[in-house]
Amino acid sequence: MSSLTVRNIIKNFPGTRALDDVSITFESGKVNALLGKNGSGKSTLVKVINGAYQADSGVIELDGVPLEFGGPQDAFDQGIATVYQEMSLIPGLSVAENILIGRYETNGPFVDWKKTYAKAQSLLDEMGIDMPVRELVVNLSVWQCQVVEIAKAMSCRPRVIFLDEPTSALAQHETQMLFRLIRELKTKDVIIIYITHRLQELWEIADTSTVLLDGRLTGKIDMADAQPKDILKLMFGDVTIKNRPADLIVSDETVLEVKNLTRKPWFRNVSFTLKKGEVLGIAGMLGSGRTELLRAIFGADQADEGSIVLDGKVIDKPNPRIMSQLGLALTPEDRKSQGLVQILSIKENLCHASLDLLAPTGFVDTKLEQRYADRQVDALHIKTPGTDMPMTSLSGGNQQKVVVGKWLNIGPKVIFLDEPSRGIDVNAKQQIFQIIWDQSRKGVSSVVVSSELEELLEVCHRIIIMRQGEFVDVICPEDTTIEELYSHCIGSEK
Amino acid sequence: MNTQQRKAFNWSQFSKKYMMEIILGCIVLALMLTAPGFFTTGNILNIFRNVALAGVISFGMTMVIIGGEIDLSVGSSIALSAVLTATVTGALNSRGILPMETAVLVGMACSLLMGAVVGLINGFLRTKYNIPTFIITLAMLNVLYGAAALLSKGFPVTTLPDWYNWIGAGQLFGFFPVPAVWLLITFAVVFVIMNMTKFGRQVYAVGGNPEAARLSGIDVAKVKIVILMTVQVLAAFSGIILSAQVMSGSSTFGRGYEMDVIAAVIIGGTSLFGGIGKVWGTMIGIIFLGVINNGMTLFGVGDFEKYIARGMLILLAVLFNTIQLQSMQKAKAS
Repeated sequence: MSSLTVRNIIKNFPGTRALDDVSITFESGKVNALLGKNGSGKSTLVKVINGAYQADSGVIELDGVPLEFGGPQDAFDQGIATVYQEMSLIPGLSVAENILIGRYETNGPFVDWKKTYAKAQSLLDEMGIDMPVRELVVNLSVWQCQVVEIAKAMSCRPRVIFLDEPTSALAQHETQMLFRLIRELKTKDVIIIYITHRLQELWEIADTSTVLLDGRLTGKIDMADAQPKDILKLMFGDVTIKNRPADLIVSDETVLEVKNLTRKPWFRNVSFTLKKGEVLGIAGMLGSGRTELLRAIFGADQADEGSIVLDGKVIDKPNPRIMSQLGLALTPEDRKSQGLVQILSIKENLCHASLDLLAPTGFVDTKLEQRYADRQVDALHIKTPGTDMPMTSLSGGNQQKVVVGKWLNIGPKVIFLDEPSRGIDVNAKQQIFQIIWDQSRKGVSSVVVSSELEELLEVCHRIIIMRQGEFVDVICPEDTTIEELYSHCIGSEK
Repeated sequence: MNTQQRKAFNWSQFSKKYMMEIILGCIVLALMLTAPGFFTTGNILNIFRNVALAGVISFGMTMVIIGGEIDLSVGSSIALSAVLTATVTGALNSRGILPMETAVLVGMACSLLMGAVVGLINGFLRTKYNIPTFIITLAMLNVLYGAAALLSKGFPVTTLPDWYNWIGAGQLFGFFPVPAVWLLITFAVVFVIMNMTKFGRQVYAVGGNPEAARLSGIDVAKVKIVILMTVQVLAAFSGIILSAQVMSGSSTFGRGYEMDVIAAVIIGGTSLFGGIGKVWGTMIGIIFLGVINNGMTLFGVGDFEKYIARGMLILLAVLFNTIQLQSMQKAKAS
C-alpha cells in the first residue's frame, strides 16, 4: 500500500488565497473523492499535486519521499497522472495508437504494428476492459473514450491517478460501466483521487471523501458512516444568504412564454413563463441543459419542437437577429469567445448589438455612438481610461459589464445571463447583481443561469431546477436553503 | 522629466502606428536621391497608373480579409471579365443587334454581373456549407480561367469604340491617368463604407469574432456574402479597365494578380486572421508595391528578380505584422 501526503500547502493568486494550509493523506486501494463547490480550491489542489502549479509553500510526499516538480511533465514522469474532463484523444487514430501514443513498439525506424496492438491488448486485458484495439476513437461513445483515457494514463504505471469529473458527460448506464473499471483499478497499487460534482455517486464509488471550502480543508470522512447532510455541511459551511432588495416588484404581465421546448439530446419539454420585472434563476449541474435552453430561446441554436411567445408575438424560427430586434438579449457563458470581439475597442463592442439604432440610414452617427458607449461606461462603472482602449485592457469583471452594456444599449425587455459571475471578483459580482436589480426596477426581466447556487438564492425571485434536460421543480429562494437546493439539483434529495 | 517621458512615449506610439508610411517615405527619399527620373510628374503618375489594376481590387480584398476571408480567384476574374466584355460586345455588334456604343455597355454590365454572381457562389458555399474560402476560391481560380479560355477561343479581339479606350488609357485634364481616377474613387467609397457605415462596423465584428457577432444580432452570412461579392465586382471592373487599356480581352490577363492584391493588403497592415486592418493602410501598400516595382525598373532589375523581391516583401510584411501582434499581446498579458 502506498500513500500520498500533502502538508501545509499554501497557494496564493493575486487577490486571493486559493489554498490555505491544506494537509491531507490519500491512500491506495481506495477511491478517494475530492469535493468542493466552485472556487473551493479543489482544482488548484489538483494542479499543485500534478505539477501544473507551484505551491507557495508546503510539501508533497509519496510514501514519505518528498517530491519536487519542474512542471506537469516532470510530475507525470514521477508517477502523477491526470485524466481530465476534456478529452485529449486523437479521433482519427485507433484505440491502441491513442493509448500508446509516442511509445509505439518499433523495429528500426518502422513501427511494429503487430507488437504495438498486442501490447495495447494486454494492457486492456489487464484492466479487464473489453474493447477492440483497432477501432478508431472517432467511432467510440463518450464513456468508451473516457475508458481509453484512463487506460492511456494507467499504461504509464502511475503511482497517483486523478480522475477529474469522469462521469460528467455520461448517462446512467454508462456511469456504471465506468465504475466497474474504477473498482478494478482499486486492486492495483495506485492512489485514486476522484473529483466529482455528483454527490449521489459517492456512496456507490468512493471510500473516503475529502472536502475543501474557500481554500481550506473542512473534513475527510469515511463514506461508510457519512450522511448526505454531513457532506453538504462540509461543502457549504454556514452560509448566510444576502437578501435581494425589497423594492423589486414582479408585475402580472407576462413578457416571455416558453411551451414544451425540446432540443434533443439537451433538454425536453421545457415550459415556463417570465413576468415583467422578474428575475428568474435556472439552477442545475453542468450538463443539465441550462445553457442550451437559453441559446435555443435566443435562436443561437435551433430547437426541435415547442413554441416561444415574446411580448405577445409568437416566434416561429428564432435567430439572434430577430430576437435581439424584439428586445431579447443574451450574455453568453463564455464571454471571451462568444460575448466579445477581443481585438476591437470597448466602444465598438458596446455598440455591436445596437448598430441598427446608431445607423438607421446605414451611416453610423458617430456622436451618438460615442454617447452610447459613454453612457454604459458611466452607468455600469466600467473602469477604463477611454472607450477607444482595446477590450483586452479590461479585467474580467469589466469585460462582463461591457457584454451587459452592449445589450442595455438596445433597451432590452428580457436579458438572459449565462454564468454572469464566472471568473470575476466579488465586487464586480455585486455590481452585476446591482445591474440586474436596476433593470428589474425598470421593468426589464432577467433569466440567470449560474453554478453558484448562493448567487441564485440572493439574486432571483424564483428558481427553476433543471436536471438532465428537464425542469423538475420551481422554488422560492425564501423557502429553501442552499443544501436543499444543491441536493435538488443533483437529484439526491430526501 | 515627465513631459520628456511623454514625448518619448508619443514618438514610439507614432512610429509604430505609421511604420509603413515612414518606411515608404524613406524609400521614396532614397529613390529621389539615387534613381534618375524617379521624381518626375510623369513617372509618379505612371506609378499610379500601373498599380491601379491590382489596386482597385485591393480595396475589396481589404474588406474580405478584415472580414476573416480570402479570395484567391480575382486574377482569373480579370481575365474572364475582359474576355466577356469583348465577346459580348463583339457578338452583339457583329450581328447588328446593337450599335457598338450600346453593345459595349451591355458587355460591361455582363462582366460586372458575372463578378457579382461568382462572389455570390463563393459566399453561398462559404456560409451554407462552411467550406473555407481559401479552397473555394482556389477552385474558382481554375474554373474562371478555364471559362475565359473557352470563351475567348476564336475571337478575343473586337473593335471597340474610342471612348472605351479612355476608361483604361485616357488622361483626365490631359495629364492625369484615368485608371488612377478609378483607384481613388474605389479608395474613397471603400474608405467611407469601412469607417462610416453600419456595414463597415459589422465587417470588423464578423472578422474579429464571428460567433460573438452572430450572438450580437449581426447577420454574419449576409456580411460575408456581400464582401465576397464586392471583391469580385471590383475584379470584374479591373478586367474592364484592362481590356480597355489594350482594347481586347484575353484569358492570359490577370494571371498572378491575386498575389499583388493580397500583398498590398498585407503590407498595409491588415491581419490575415481578420478583424484588424485599415483601408488607408491598403492605399499605402499599393503605393509601396508600385514604388518598389518602379524603382527596380529604373535600376534595370529583371522580371525574374522582381518576382523574388516581391515575394520577400510579402514575407517580411507578414513577419513584421505577426511580431508586432505578438509583442502587443505579450505587453497585455504582463
